Amino acid sequence: MTGTKSKRPGPADPVEAKKCADWIVSVATTRDREAFAQLFAHFAPRVKAYMFRFGGNAETAEELAQEAMMQVWRKAHLFDPSKAAASTWIFTVARNLRIDRFRQRKHIEVDDSDPTLIVDEDPLADEVVGRDQEAVLVKAAMEELPADQKVVVELSFFEDCSHSEIAKRLNIPLGTVKSRLRLALGKLRGGLEGVA
Amino acid sequence: MNIKHHPTDQTLMDYASGSLSQAMELLVATHMTLCPHCRNKVSGFETMGGAVLENTDSMSMSDHSLDHVMAMLEREATNENIVTEKLPTMRRIAVGESITGSTMASLPRPLAELLPEDVTSLDDIPWKSLAPGVKQFQLKSIESKGTVRLLKIAPGISIPDHGHHGHEMTLLIKGSYIDEIGRFRAGDVADLDDDVDHQPIADTAEECICLIATDAPMKFNRLLPKLLQPFFGI
Repeated sequence: MTGTKSKRPGPADPVEAKKCADWIVSVATTRDREAFAQLFAHFAPRVKAYMFRFGGNAETAEELAQEAMMQVWRKAHLFDPSKAAASTWIFTVARNLRIDRFRQRKHIEVDDSDPTLIVDEDPLADEVVGRDQEAVLVKAAMEELPADQKVVVELSFFEDCSHSEIAKRLNIPLGTVKSRLRLALGKLRGGLEGVA
Repeated sequence: MNIKHHPTDQTLMDYASGSLSQAMELLVATHMTLCPHCRNKVSGFETMGGAVLENTDSMSMSDHSLDHVMAMLEREATNENIVTEKLPTMRRIAVGESITGSTMASLPRPLAELLPEDVTSLDDIPWKSLAPGVKQFQLKSIESKGTVRLLKIAPGISIPDHGHHGHEMTLLIKGSYIDEIGRFRAGDVADLDDDVDHQPIADTAEECICLIATDAPMKFNRLLPKLLQPFFGI
């Protein structure tokens, strides 16, 4: 891998995660360059690593990380802190850009203004937990996963890997991939339910 | 709409990570428009994606990367080139009445957008006969990996026992069918792995219309004309 690897501390607590969300809001409302610089410092190196996993080329990864951050600037007004944490939203921006560039198409999404949209009549109780706090809990639960479960989750998100490809890559049966994922998902969800 | 059958967690996670084929993604987004339950789950999986991003070993950006980006953005700002993300107006494609109430008012946007421009209701679709009692319409502009098609099945027609070569998902649009797994009505999704065999039957007095997405080249296509027979005629 080219480029220097460095482990930056992520938002360790909801206050940190909230700061990231506030930065995006500042970019949206006042075109705040200082806030954008903070977001760039935190997220661009991570998005670069993400793109590198798919592209395998440091130059392309750099270019796509820059492009993703430009989209963060341009689309900041579409960010809704009541719906997603900053890390969640930036992940979806990076994912969509990756599909656009590597697969030459748009990620097909639900249109919130679609008249056929059926809205939730019974919003979940966990709405009381803020999105930032939720993201921090999931991140903490992720860190505590046993290594064999963690790698399966990471491969699912960070490489264009089907479950059978993950099985091949790790040289384990497909059933094992599925059961590890099931266990991991259970724990990640359990982490959330513990708070409500 | 009372949805009872959903895509598996695995499928929803793959949707969130962006690793589904376009065919599958289209079907999932269409279902999600009708299903707040699955939208919630997908947000949860996207939160996991965000957590993986947070936890990842980062790669340093090149020198002056931020300055470069800021300079580009500045040039854009002077050109008033800000993304508004205004989608074109939604096309309404009517689904039609159902005697059992198993229908949706009109097609959700992800699916409606992929139909030919002159189509304003399901009746306008240039259906092609596939076998007695079965018509299909193959959707275009889809990645080569996978296929997606609409199927219209006359009442009482059974699609004989078939396995799946790869991943197959079916979304019920109108009418209903029944198989070993249960009864499927409008909005329901049958999310079948390659190890499932089933024999769906359009089980009411009305036709059944569904969207079928597959990852593998369609084996089904070849089997269908040979094996299809009217259920009540057996």
